[in-house]
Amino acid sequence: MSLERRMLTRELKLIAARPGDIFKPMWFLMLVISMVPLALAPDSDLLSEIGSAMIWVATLLALLLNTEHLFQSDFSDGVLEQWLFLDRPLAWLVGLKLIAHWLFHVLPLILITPIAGIMLSVPTDVLLALLVTLVIATPALTCFSGLGAALTLGSSRSGILGVLVMMPLFVPVVILAAGVLIRAMDGSDTLPLLALLGAFSVVAATLVPIAVSAAIRLNIGGSN
Amino acid sequence: MGWRWFHQWGSPRWFYERAGRWQLVCGWLALTLLITGSFWGLALAPVDYQQGNSYRIIYLHVPVAFLAQALYAAMAVCAVVLFVWKMKLADVAMQSIAVMGFAFTALSLISGAVWGKPTWGTYWVWDARLTSMLILAFLYLGVIGLRAAIQDPDQAGKACGILVLVGVVNLPIIKYSVEWWNTLHQPASLKLTEKPAMPASMWVPLLTNILGYYIAAAYLILGSMRAIVLERERRSAWVRELVSRA
Repeated sequence: MSLERRMLTRELKLIAARPGDIFKPMWFLMLVISMVPLALAPDSDLLSEIGSAMIWVATLLALLLNTEHLFQSDFSDGVLEQWLFLDRPLAWLVGLKLIAHWLFHVLPLILITPIAGIMLSVPTDVLLALLVTLVIATPALTCFSGLGAALTLGSSRSGILGVLVMMPLFVPVVILAAGVLIRAMDGSDTLPLLALLGAFSVVAATLVPIAVSAAIRLNIGGSN
Repeated sequence: MGWRWFHQWGSPRWFYERAGRWQLVCGWLALTLLITGSFWGLALAPVDYQQGNSYRIIYLHVPVAFLAQALYAAMAVCAVVLFVWKMKLADVAMQSIAVMGFAFTALSLISGAVWGKPTWGTYWVWDARLTSMLILAFLYLGVIGLRAAIQDPDQAGKACGILVLVGVVNLPIIKYSVEWWNTLHQPASLKLTEKPAMPASMWVPLLTNILGYYIAAAYLILGSMRAIVLERERRSAWVRELVSRA
């Protein structure tokens, strides 16, 4: 079995050992969405107008909550140190870890957003656009929050610092996704913006793992 | 020979002594320029026919906003120097620039709000420039916070370096996306620099003040760098000698 496949199976086994980890962010998402009509008004016209943006922000927060300790357990039990001795570049292994995280932790989160959409009476075509933007944008968001997690690995009292540090970098993604949603609402062409969003995601997914691996090396070696 | 001018930057002691002299020069130069520029701008320059006297805040606001953006770029240059030449002084510079950059960004946001109230009738609008300055303030805060969270100064410096480099790649993307977003949401409302072709009596003092603020920033950064060098080198012989002499 190749190293790559073994890494993915290991991630799956880890999830099977603690399935609660997957559900907590979903739970958080649903709670936040339930708060919106309570805090605003149970007016379905109003909700359908702001609903998709609310779901986007809530999913973003849930994803951040999810990714904050991405490397923590691998760091404390020495797995990251072993990565340095493998015959693969560290950035590649980091990329694999991020892909596994996206597949097993972020994708389930996206898959329940339609339920949230129905709760906030978001129209179906907007809901579809919402799903597409989330699928396209979350790889970039996962990479950046992974970087935040890697940068704060060494400090025990960092708290949610990794999230705070990375949030400003999400601005372009949020703006593009909001643009898609606005266009989907008035029925105009969303494809150009989706392409831009996809381009951002591809560039982030290519380059950020290199920065993440530098941050990990920093926390393990210290000297190099 | 030949490389001495470069290698001496690796010596904290050399920097500490030289920076003291540079600081003196910068201090007097900045003071002269700022007094001249501010007096000229605030008292002698003509009143604006549209905004009245409230326009005079540009003599503070514009230089500070320039610096807020320039300092992030300076920090990125320091990060590159840190990674390429492993120069510890670059890390010291990064640490003091981050704090100074945040201060200037905050000052530009506050002075802009103060000017916005009489001119636009509101302290804050989600204008593209205001928004990207706000994001810049958060980026500076991130660099400061990350350094504060990591105990080992070398490790903290490298972590901040990674963050600054990622940030500087993203900064233009953020800036343009915010501009695009703003035109999407509220077309043609307000612009900060509706240049009514300023007369020379207005822009010459402005230029004097911009120069003055840049040199004042150099003065402040050199001062805080000297303090950081002293703190980091507190165990070395020359610092002990310096302290015991004082």
